[in-house]
Amino acid sequence: MTTLIQLEILRTLRNKRYLMFTVLYPALLYVFFISAYGSGGTVAGGVSVKSYFMVSMATFGAVGAVLTGSAQRISLERKSGWTRQLRLTALPGRAYTLGKIAACAVTTLPAIAVVFVIGAIEGVDLTAVQWLGLAAALWLGSFVFAALGVALGYAAQPDAVQPVVMIVYMLMALFGGTWFPVSDSLKTYARFNPVYDYNQLASFIHGQGVAGAAIAALAAFLAVFTAAAAHLYRKDAQQA
Amino acid sequence: MGTGTGEVAAFRNVSKSYGRVKAVNGLDLVLRPGETVALLGPNGAGKSSSLDLLLGLREPDSGTVELFGGTPREAITAGRVGAMLQSGGLMSDVKVRELVTLACKVHPKGHAPEEVLTTAGITEIADRRVDKLSGGQEQRVRFALAVAGANDLIVLDEPTTGMDVSVRRQFWAAMRAQADAGRTVLFATHYLEEADSIADRVLVLHKGRLIADGSSAEIKARAGARRIGFELHPSDGRAPDEALLRSLPGTVGLDVSTRTDGVHTVRIRSTDADAGVAALYKAGLYPRGLEVTSLGLEQAFLTITGEQDRTESEEESAR
Repeated sequence: MTTLIQLEILRTLRNKRYLMFTVLYPALLYVFFISAYGSGGTVAGGVSVKSYFMVSMATFGAVGAVLTGSAQRISLERKSGWTRQLRLTALPGRAYTLGKIAACAVTTLPAIAVVFVIGAIEGVDLTAVQWLGLAAALWLGSFVFAALGVALGYAAQPDAVQPVVMIVYMLMALFGGTWFPVSDSLKTYARFNPVYDYNQLASFIHGQGVAGAAIAALAAFLAVFTAAAAHLYRKDAQQA
Repeated sequence: MGTGTGEVAAFRNVSKSYGRVKAVNGLDLVLRPGETVALLGPNGAGKSSSLDLLLGLREPDSGTVELFGGTPREAITAGRVGAMLQSGGLMSDVKVRELVTLACKVHPKGHAPEEVLTTAGITEIADRRVDKLSGGQEQRVRFALAVAGANDLIVLDEPTTGMDVSVRRQFWAAMRAQADAGRTVLFATHYLEEADSIADRVLVLHKGRLIADGSSAEIKARAGARRIGFELHPSDGRAPDEALLRSLPGTVGLDVSTRTDGVHTVRIRSTDADAGVAALYKAGLYPRGLEVTSLGLEQAFLTITGEQDRTESEEESAR
């Protein structure tokens, strides 16, 4: 099983287009947001622009990396028959999905790191513990979206998977505080948006304490997405 | 039942439908160790569906499928089965060698990757990216995945599709080596000459049913495997009598055409050409330009499936 996981990671790192999209795109957007909002400003709640968008662009990159990396590839490989071929090996069925999630988890790290480096250069001032804690929180949080990506990969047909992923991704970002903070009137509903909860994981660097509610919500999302992914996987295995 | 009886694979009254289409209809079949078996049938005959059921990729609606006395999945997990599917995709963004190495490593009885590359004849393309291969090269990589370990059964669905003639010859040489090593080989093909020259047992599937099972010679014999052709000239006396010709021993098909000069051209399809020709002379006929030729498996195959179609349409009109 480790052989398959290693190979999945290797091939993902070889795919330059995928890396450009997941790593460079959020970094460029981050630079753009800082200049658009003014680097010295604050957003609602008194959080600095630099710090706010550093988090939201890191999560934007991480979610994009795992959603396209899992959903799109799974859907395409279902169509090509690679998933069938793998079922003719002694590998357990979960190895394939685990390989995809592992490859995603590896690519989220550079997506997060690049944005952090720009943030540090722009003057986001955190302690070493905060930097590490934030990186760990955002990295772990990305697994929720990996589970969602696996579910979408088994649910969507290959010709529909790209628009489906994009719509889900953009809607979650739009109402999750990725491009602008969620207004107070929408906050009641935003709790049900995993990207909003994901962004809330960073609250401890803004002096707002650990976001217990967001962690609980993400854990619930993880459970739901995993159950959905497992169900859709089994359904696919009966049809393939 | 089970391994004790020396069964490699067994279908017992297996049926599978997709919607209204009966892809496999009451299939009963046993494969024995060491056989090289060809599975023939026109498109949509149920070949791929049968192989899917055999490999456990799909579950039958009724009946049971056993591999080595257990479930297909158990046989695969034990490393006893290798398969090459028509619809089996390959991983992209990896090199041929990496993919073959993966297959060898995950196989419980995997061979060394270099050895498998040689067996499949893909050593020269081992460093190429899988997504940059031609159709024939892809087929050979799929074959490599099927022989990555010491399997007891190798299943191949249309293995030579996309290969040119010389590569196809190499491929069958590799396949024969597998069979000579004592492995059971089951392959579906629509190249009948492959079945004729390689298989020691031929199965013919048609509309989800097994309509013929035997050696290639037996199948040809059943279809009326020889053709007797001759001319009857009016100057030689007796005019041809269709009833008489039809009553010749072994006759399963008759075609008589008459030219304007009164010469009759007769073609007989026969399961016993020797007796048929002897009876011709005994009946006092004088066949000119007598030719006895054997039919290929292809002709036999068309005859058998055609007969089946006729029987079915007769049954239907009788209802």
